[in-house]
Amino acid sequence: MKLLSFIPVLVVGVLLLYAAKDFPEWGSLDAPASKSPVSSHFIANTGVDTEVPNMVTAVLADYRGFDTMFETVVVFIAGMAVLAILKNSGRKKLVKREFEVDAEPDLIVTNTVRLLVPVIQIFAFYVLAHGHVSPGGGFQGGVLMGASFILVALSWDLETALIRFPFNWTTILGGLGVFLYAGIGLLSMFLGGEFLDYSELANIFTVSREMARYHAMLGVEIGVGLTVTAIMFSLYANLSTEGRHQRGL
Amino acid sequence: MMENAIAWILIFPLFGSVACAILGMGNKKLCYPIAVLSMAGSLWGGIETLRQVIASEVHTVSYIFGGWTLDNYPRGVGIEFHADILGILITLVVLGVGFIVAIYSKLPVQDETPNKESLFYTLFLLQITGLAGICLTGDAFNLYVLIEVAALTGYGLIAMGSKRAEAATFNYVILGTIGASLYLLGVGYIYIKTGTLNMVGIHDVIVANGLADSATMQVAFVLVGIGILIKMAFFPFHAWLPNAYCNAPTVTSSLLAPLVTKVMIYVMIRMVLSVFGVEFSFESTLWVDVMPWLVVVAIICAAVMALAQREIKRMLAYLIVAEVGYMVGGVWIYNYYGLIGSIFHVISDACMTLCLFLGAGLILRKAKTTHFDGLRGLFSKMPLTMTGFFIGGFSIIGLPPTCGFFSKWYLITGGMVSQRWEYMVVLMFSTMVMVVLFFRLIERIHLAVSESGENLGHGHGDLGLTKEQTRFDEGPLSMLIPLLLAATVVLVVGIYNQDIVNLIEIFLDEFNLPKGVSH
Repeated sequence: MKLLSFIPVLVVGVLLLYAAKDFPEWGSLDAPASKSPVSSHFIANTGVDTEVPNMVTAVLADYRGFDTMFETVVVFIAGMAVLAILKNSGRKKLVKREFEVDAEPDLIVTNTVRLLVPVIQIFAFYVLAHGHVSPGGGFQGGVLMGASFILVALSWDLETALIRFPFNWTTILGGLGVFLYAGIGLLSMFLGGEFLDYSELANIFTVSREMARYHAMLGVEIGVGLTVTAIMFSLYANLSTEGRHQRGL
Repeated sequence: MMENAIAWILIFPLFGSVACAILGMGNKKLCYPIAVLSMAGSLWGGIETLRQVIASEVHTVSYIFGGWTLDNYPRGVGIEFHADILGILITLVVLGVGFIVAIYSKLPVQDETPNKESLFYTLFLLQITGLAGICLTGDAFNLYVLIEVAALTGYGLIAMGSKRAEAATFNYVILGTIGASLYLLGVGYIYIKTGTLNMVGIHDVIVANGLADSATMQVAFVLVGIGILIKMAFFPFHAWLPNAYCNAPTVTSSLLAPLVTKVMIYVMIRMVLSVFGVEFSFESTLWVDVMPWLVVVAIICAAVMALAQREIKRMLAYLIVAEVGYMVGGVWIYNYYGLIGSIFHVISDACMTLCLFLGAGLILRKAKTTHFDGLRGLFSKMPLTMTGFFIGGFSIIGLPPTCGFFSKWYLITGGMVSQRWEYMVVLMFSTMVMVVLFFRLIERIHLAVSESGENLGHGHGDLGLTKEQTRFDEGPLSMLIPLLLAATVVLVVGIYNQDIVNLIEIFLDEFNLPKGVSH
């Protein structure tokens, strides 16, 4: 069987190598991807169109904001699907599993985490808010924020973390994040533009059309951050306890 | 409102799903009306867009998200929704099926997935969002994102079924991910050679730079093609489908079976005709020579496996695999009529599969089994359900005036004029198999013959059942009406086939496809 599955791997590998003989030169200015009007437009006009210095953020959250909205939806779906599969519908018996231990949380670990978590969370806000000018944004900020709650669950137990972040809030915040993103898009549509045309928000906020895009991007990044935070924690809570939300690892 | 109709198609189910997730947690009774209403709104958007597409001079509606209009910015800066006649027709199929299944879903969802209604409807509506988006998008990468949306919701929806559904879903996850990854890899290669992700843009660059002989593009075509074939459960890659659809909850299988494979066939047609272009796909690759023979193998194997099944849902699952073979064949015989048949068959197959799965769901609910042995006397017990079910069945066989007759007619015409006799013969063969399948079912229901052939009754008209077992006992109206609606659609699409074919012809006329032998 192992040998059999080696054959398709080999075929795909040979195909990929064969394709490489026709590649444009590495980093060449004549490569189609560098020459195309689309990339030239991004490089020359991102600042003009959106006032955002970080080109990657502008492409992600504005030029191709529709993709990013659905990426957020994908994260949301992942959380909902895992919950749907594992949700305890009263059938499963509550039995203790062998890897669950009754030991008290470790003193050194909990005290270190006590110091770490606030720093991680402030850094998460920084990464989220500075996505415009430096590497970062909603996904990265959300992952950091979610990780801080998982850290609490790992060093105490899941129940302690669930006191700080009740489980129902993961679904609400996850949905709210998608709602915030799509809602900003819908609002700009009601103001007369296309869906997700943030520049129309200049009609209700006293800023230029470019700055409206700038600020709306922060708005959608916050939406992304909310969803990613909530779903990260929801996935951990579900997977570590098979959907029972008790004790955990 | 009107100019944004195409965006509303996705906005309604997207916001509906968020509402189901948040509001449904508190009050799960809200989910069903939210789902039906958002599907109705979405359907309105689809019909309005169809009207706009037909009214426009070039028969396309182009909608660019984020206000990056073509007047001020180069094509491909923003993400485009590019609805031509093909796209909007398939979108309407998706939305129509979604609407009918949403109405149907009330009781089965309550009974089969208790306490999970809000999650079920959240995933249900996002599934429709993904599938409708796939049909409308004009951006190769956006297509991938939407395929992921549709696939992930599909995994969740299927796994909510019986215990065995979870194992089946795992298979589906593995194969689905391989398919999607191959597609993504292909899109990456396309981007390397063309520098754009916009479908119209890709096609323009391929023509302008003469990329037909480029090794990278050839490999990209193979990767994209195989990725899509895995996703649509084309014969050697079909292993995930039967188990997944059999063990899924009733509503899931009624939604996914008519749509997922058909939408992927749409993606193949879109890639072949609009993205790579006729010249690239048919003239400079070997697929035209190879694919029809693979189709022959696929249809024969799937039909024979369908014949071996003793359980309605499993039999239908193998029928889907056979039907996928029909449509793939219709594309790769490289013929104008074959493509009309393929596109029309996407529409009619979705309608009739919907009919059959809705019927199977009702049978399962009332007779508690979908095994052939438990069906005796069902015609007197549930006459309306069985009528609806068999209208779908007759359409699969291809009896006029159901829509299946007309789409198969075009497929066979295509096989004949392009002199692809192997494809034509295999179509005939599989039609025979389907006749056997459905008339055997009718026999099971009407005659008192058991699985082993022993006679249980005492003569004609005597089914060996007590009065109690044959008393009129129809399914609930909320499930029966959608089934009858679906059966009506099968007949209406069949009767108005000429109007639909006229629309498809408008779409195909710009591609200069051969109307006779291609080589």
